[in-house]
Amino acid sequence: MPKLGCSTAILVWSCIILLVLFIIGLAIGPIGASILGTEAPSFLRLTSPHVELPSEEVSNIAGFPITNTLIASWFTIIVLVGIFYACTRKMKLIPGRLQSLAEMVVEGLLNFVEEAAGKKRGRILFPAVATIFIYVITNAYLALLPFFGTVGITGHEGTFIPLFRGANTDINVPLSIAVMSFVFIEYWGMRSIGAFRYISEFINVSQIGQGFKQFFKGKIRPAVTNIGLGFINLFVGMLEILSHFIRIISFTFRLFGNMTAGEILLLCVCFLVPLIATIPFYGLELLIGFIQALIFAGLTLAFGMAAITPAHEEPEQT
Amino acid sequence: MENIGINLPLLLAFLINFVILFVLLGIFLYKPALKMLDQRQAKIREGMEQTELIKQQAARAEEQVREQLESARKEGQTMIAQSAQMGEKLKGEARGEARREAELLIARAQDEIKRQSDETINELRREFVDIAITAAEKVINETLDKPKHRHLIEEVLEKDTTFGKN
Repeated sequence: MPKLGCSTAILVWSCIILLVLFIIGLAIGPIGASILGTEAPSFLRLTSPHVELPSEEVSNIAGFPITNTLIASWFTIIVLVGIFYACTRKMKLIPGRLQSLAEMVVEGLLNFVEEAAGKKRGRILFPAVATIFIYVITNAYLALLPFFGTVGITGHEGTFIPLFRGANTDINVPLSIAVMSFVFIEYWGMRSIGAFRYISEFINVSQIGQGFKQFFKGKIRPAVTNIGLGFINLFVGMLEILSHFIRIISFTFRLFGNMTAGEILLLCVCFLVPLIATIPFYGLELLIGFIQALIFAGLTLAFGMAAITPAHEEPEQT
Repeated sequence: MENIGINLPLLLAFLINFVILFVLLGIFLYKPALKMLDQRQAKIREGMEQTELIKQQAARAEEQVREQLESARKEGQTMIAQSAQMGEKLKGEARGEARREAELLIARAQDEIKRQSDETINELRREFVDIAITAAEKVINETLDKPKHRHLIEEVLEKDTTFGKN
């Protein structure tokens, strides 16, 4: 028999307690109430969840809305900077525990980036990719803390407004990250192969120009071919530009959708079966938060790699 | 767009938040951690290179020691051989000298013996001559001219092999 961390009696008892809690939750929740026809005691009765897609305004300073997601995002920044400041305050060659944490995070992300981009380019792409990953995953994980969505104030119309709400569930946050990702990708592209050359990879008029030159020199056939191909290339370049902007949208809605759906799922499960039935879904949310952060960072990395690799050049071997 | 809550000032705020986070993480996380990682990597590489160097040096030193040992052994062997030769030579010399000395002694002893035997023989002869003269005197009752007789007898003896002078 495999060795357990506790005695068998404790295991059995904790299983029984969990089962009892689950059954109570099932009974007093809306499902049990409708099946059994029982009425839960009033202090356990829940208001049905309402889903608000836009983030709620907690306060308003000179027309600028301070929403609960903005507060959550500040909270994320404070937590991250606080933790990593504590971790890297005294850097030593032989790391302590906190320093190891920071180095583990950085080294893991650096390996992830360098695996795709190689050593030299990895260092260029690393900060942005790592920041995106850390920001997204921290937003997602902090949203699972108990005071998110529970601690709040009563608004003007008597509605309850939570002070904190998972930052990723506000469309502005995924959108802002996606815009930053777009900016970084274009910046990398222009920096590594030159702004003019980078743009000319999309809007390539040189072939058309060459065609017209040949046309005036009297070489009709190559001129027609060049002009035709030039216009096709131009069209393809336009599509390419469009795809870069569409990325922003796909980035945004992927993250926003996943995170909002996760929150709504938790809310619904919590309402339908109160007490402990939400625990597995919290685990699921942890997984989804990690995956979404990885996807966001990974796609930024992949697009960045595509941007800094000139179209007619083999990618750098790692 | 209103329904899902896209809001330009808020978006700007979040963009600023992201940039702030980017900068702060750069200052507090990436820069020190990357520096430390690079430093450690450099240190480890340096250490490994040094180890390699030391290993090489050790191998070289071992080689040298082995060579020295080898040469020392050879030298020792030659020295042993030389000394053995020398010993052999000395032995031979000593033996020769001893033999020479022994021969000398033997020769001297032989000389002595010879001298003694000669002396004895001479004495015997003298006595014999005297006896013979005395006997002859008695026989002829007359004193012979002693020196003359002696001379005569000695002449006779001279011819004899046993008492002859050699």
